[in-house]
Amino acid sequence: MPLDTSTYHLSLLRLDGRRWNELRRLHAQISTQASADGSSYLEMGNTKIICTVSGPAEIRGGGRREGVERDNAVVNVEVGVAGFSGMDRKRRRGDKRTTEMQNTIASAFTSTLFTHLYPHSTISINLHILSQDGSLLAVCLNAATLALIDAGVPMKDYIVACTSGLTPPASTLGGSRGGNSETSDPLLDLNGMEEQELPFLTGAGGTVGGDVGGGGGWV
Amino acid sequence: MAPTAQPTILSPSELSYLYTSLSLNPPIRPDARSPTSFRPLVAETDLLPTANGSARLCFADGTEAIVGVKGEVERTGGVGKQIGIREDDVEMGGIEGEEGTGGAGGEDWWVEVTVDMPGQRDDDAMVVFLAQMIHEGLVADGGLRARLVINRRWHWRLYIDILLLSPPHTYPLPLLSLTAHLALLSTCLPAPVAGLEKDDDPIFNDDWDAAIPLYPSTPPSSKAKANLSAARPPITLLVISVGDNIFFDPSHAELAVADAVVAVTVASSPSSTDDLNLLAVRTIDPPSRLSSSAAEMGQAVEEGAWKPKKGGMSRTVLRKMVGMCVARGGVGEEVLGGLEGFT
Amino acid sequence: MPFTITAPAPPVPIAYNGPSDSDSADSEGDIDMGPPSKRARLSTKSIVTPGEIVTDDPQWMRGHGTYTSPLTSAILSSVSGTLQKTNKLLSIAPLRARYTPEIGDLVVGRIVEVQTKRWKVDLSAPLLAHLPLSAINLPGGILRKRTSTDELAIRSFFSEGDLLVAEVQSMYQDGAASLHTRSLKYGKLRNGVFLAVSGTGGGGGVVRARRQVWTVLTGNGGGEVDMVLGVNGYIWICKHSRGELVEGKGGAQVSIMRIEDVVGESMYSNRNDEIGPATRREIARLSGVVRALVERGVRVDEEMVMRGYEASLEGEETDYEYGEAGGENGEYLGGERGKRVVETALAAVHAARG
Repeated sequence: MPLDTSTYHLSLLRLDGRRWNELRRLHAQISTQASADGSSYLEMGNTKIICTVSGPAEIRGGGRREGVERDNAVVNVEVGVAGFSGMDRKRRRGDKRTTEMQNTIASAFTSTLFTHLYPHSTISINLHILSQDGSLLAVCLNAATLALIDAGVPMKDYIVACTSGLTPPASTLGGSRGGNSETSDPLLDLNGMEEQELPFLTGAGGTVGGDVGGGGGWV
Repeated sequence: MAPTAQPTILSPSELSYLYTSLSLNPPIRPDARSPTSFRPLVAETDLLPTANGSARLCFADGTEAIVGVKGEVERTGGVGKQIGIREDDVEMGGIEGEEGTGGAGGEDWWVEVTVDMPGQRDDDAMVVFLAQMIHEGLVADGGLRARLVINRRWHWRLYIDILLLSPPHTYPLPLLSLTAHLALLSTCLPAPVAGLEKDDDPIFNDDWDAAIPLYPSTPPSSKAKANLSAARPPITLLVISVGDNIFFDPSHAELAVADAVVAVTVASSPSSTDDLNLLAVRTIDPPSRLSSSAAEMGQAVEEGAWKPKKGGMSRTVLRKMVGMCVARGGVGEEVLGGLEGFT
Repeated sequence: MPFTITAPAPPVPIAYNGPSDSDSADSEGDIDMGPPSKRARLSTKSIVTPGEIVTDDPQWMRGHGTYTSPLTSAILSSVSGTLQKTNKLLSIAPLRARYTPEIGDLVVGRIVEVQTKRWKVDLSAPLLAHLPLSAINLPGGILRKRTSTDELAIRSFFSEGDLLVAEVQSMYQDGAASLHTRSLKYGKLRNGVFLAVSGTGGGGGVVRARRQVWTVLTGNGGGEVDMVLGVNGYIWICKHSRGELVEGKGGAQVSIMRIEDVVGESMYSNRNDEIGPATRREIARLSGVVRALVERGVRVDEEMVMRGYEASLEGEETDYEYGEAGGENGEYLGGERGKRVVETALAAVHAARG
């Protein structure tokens, strides 16, 4: 069922009642798990994620096999999508999208954490997606930032991320109620339904330098 | 034999201290608990909007699990049977006797259990074994699968996805089993629209408030109906023995010196005066066996140092263990009561 | 009650000591995340978070937990924690972090790897620590060069899983610690139980203190029990034996000439002494006290442990009066009971300080 995107005109409300620049309800908590070095729970609307961080720690006997002395800590990211997280129950593990997310998150944090302080050790970030409703990558990045702060791993800056989408120009919709504007309108923090219909980009960055290259991409 | 979680190796003097303390009469546990008492748990239910039922449980040692239960409607008989061919269906289906009828009893494969552990592959031996053990426990008394029948042609298929959020410090079986139990207690399935004939395609009421709990709680007044509706999903308890003593909810260190580790699955019984129903007993290879190999590989074992017990467990100990689990007023009932009181 | 199950506690708000920044939220409810660069020359907030400018005054020097950006002269925070000033040095002590070794720390560690000339020791620090064969006392006490015979017999001193108490002697370039046990108060640990809590840097855990090792004269006929609080959060509680472990009890003062008599073969033995049930019970109670303190985020040091222990002894007496509560659950200090003990202990500490 295609979404009626014509209602996305700037002055109008989105399907869930938000304006174009409104985010969903955000709920965050840190130190949720006693046995982890750092942990967090983040909810953005109906996207819910638990993140645990362990390390920096030396993997016993592990790094030796590679034969290279590492001068920096390695950031390992594992994203698990729970079978019950979507509307339909399905198991996905190690599929392309998850792997891409893992790599994006790992590279984002490798550049912002002070990995040089912890040579030949590993920082593992475990992300559990409990419920998904859009903006997965953004919520994962935000949750991981919180957990890493909780773990006390030194970093340049917070990595914060948000999705933004574009409505198609109203004229392409065959002169519906959207008016006759030729430009597309931006939207912030897309939910699952909007994500399926609209082109969007996940932007991530820090608050100080702005030199953090977050992962983005058209999906 | 189940492989146990990769433990930190304890030092010989620690092991010997623990073993002696635990085999004293009365025994002294490292945290001074009584043999049958559990560490305090922290739990919440119904936390996920996209699942039919969910629960999160944290043990005192920081291990944590989340379980989500999801139901899907499936056609009984022909189609379902073909989809559902999995390796364990072959034996499970055989026990059923009447294949393809989809009778009142339901079938074991309608319940699917998966376990996810961080850093472990899906086909890791421990993951598979744990999922299998919990599945066995849940379907053993037939109570759960019977609830999944909608009519002769349709049934619910229940997916129980268990997520261990922390590294497995202790053998996670009791944690996962109790979390699954809580999730099932909180599970609601959409109510069928009234007036369904036997073979009709089911139509459901889309009002979530009207959904029917999978395990309806008993109103305290109706004692007559209590027999059926008081039934609860089974639970699996981990019990260890050290010498003649028996311990529940063992910690990581206690497991390391256990003579025998047993997983006991119990369910509440229909009548309120009887013992609980014993559904399954499984022995688990204690981690002490793993650590013993080092000593046997030619390393001199010091005189007086603790050595893991060899051989099986005695029938008296096993009988005592099972007795403590199922007895009226015993540990099993206490745990079931505690979990029920929570929801 | 043997089986308790509770709902998760609501998150505890972090108590700020300094001025609150909560009114920086603007009218739309968005929280102002911008760097507080317009504020005073030195941030007055008691808690800073990563990326926050601590100061842009060039007179300060940066210490742990801070960094400077190449673009400005400002000092920024890299962890979230409290600001500490030592003369002109600014550093941030993280609210929670892994243990970072420092020279002179008394630590409890577990051997995880045996190599030809050294052991690798887990201290729950980012990197495993090293214990060189040359940094231990050899049985027989002879001060001599380590030979290849010693290398072959390396597992007879420590092997995988063994626990030891040691001191951080030096730090390697990469941040790994090098340990030594070349004193009679250090060495292999026997006769007790091990407990891991978060080490220094974590909120509620072992803190660096004047005394990390002391002897408790326990009640209920338990005799003397040694507490060893490793700065790294590993704790050893054991029966007191011959004053070896405790500072100032003769152990440290043994002259180099007599070392042979004291350092016997038993030094690296794995066998426990005879330990009576009463002692074992008190050891379990002490570990319960530590656990209860940690669960409630209270620091673990000599004062808190001793107050907690006294409170648990008193608590038991009252519980016996109430009947089965004490009898049923023994000395277990979980849940409600632990909470009571910690509260009593905190009150006692408060009272003692006036």
